[in-house]
Amino acid sequence: MEDAETERREVRATYDYIADHFAQTREYAWPEVEEFVDDAPYAAVALDLGCGNGRHAELLADHADRVLAADASRGLLDTARERAAERGFDADLVQADAARLPVRDRTVELAVYVATLHHLPSRAARVGSLDELARVLVPEGRALVSAWSTAHEKFGRTEGFDTTVDWTLPGGETVERFYHIYSPAEFRDDVAESDLELVDFEVSSGNCYGVVRPAGE
Amino acid sequence: MKQSLMDIICCPLDKQELELDATETEGDEEVISGTLTCTECGETYPIEDGIPNLLPPDMRDVEA
Repeated sequence: MEDAETERREVRATYDYIADHFAQTREYAWPEVEEFVDDAPYAAVALDLGCGNGRHAELLADHADRVLAADASRGLLDTARERAAERGFDADLVQADAARLPVRDRTVELAVYVATLHHLPSRAARVGSLDELARVLVPEGRALVSAWSTAHEKFGRTEGFDTTVDWTLPGGETVERFYHIYSPAEFRDDVAESDLELVDFEVSSGNCYGVVRPAGE
Repeated sequence: MKQSLMDIICCPLDKQELELDATETEGDEEVISGTLTCTECGETYPIEDGIPNLLPPDMRDVEA
């Protein structure tokens, strides 16, 4: 097993490499995210953490004065910039590490952290990243956190585990990405361990979804 | 990046304020290139083609 820092740089570099193809296959917002954003109050500042091609930043743009779209991969941020230009929405793009956010305390009212947490290669980094989300949220802020789950039919397991998942490029070349696949119980435990608390939880389409807020507010 | 983003971002390491040194701008608001420097620890972060790279230094460079 490589050390965690190397693993994280490699996940970022892999997404830089596959960015264009990946973005093409991520056309639509997820319905679970759409529902969460539709139900949320209008925000001054919203955050899309792990924004990829910006499909969820686009949703947030209708529900906030300002949308911060953060991703570790510059290649993906470039695809988000193209999408924003094509579709006429505005987002502030920032290259950032989800476990060490370059965002001030208590600035974000509404956040989505979708399909990104599972790329962090240690429990300490994942819980630390949830702590960071808690830090940047205002006390009454809400976020939707999702991660791939053992409930997905392709895994057929009940305990959480580390794995790599191949991405196949159009020419047939495959590249690996690190994933931690969460059991629903472990997902709840990690949120409980962090400075966030669960407001709502569901398993849907093979993913864990938690609506969270800063703990003790 | 927009200049007004300075109100929201901070150093990813110690969460302190950043200072903007813009070398290329577009209009009043848009920074195309420049450097963000932490006012506390002194770490610098580049703004490249309009996007600030606020990755901690240990995440920046690796071959795919």
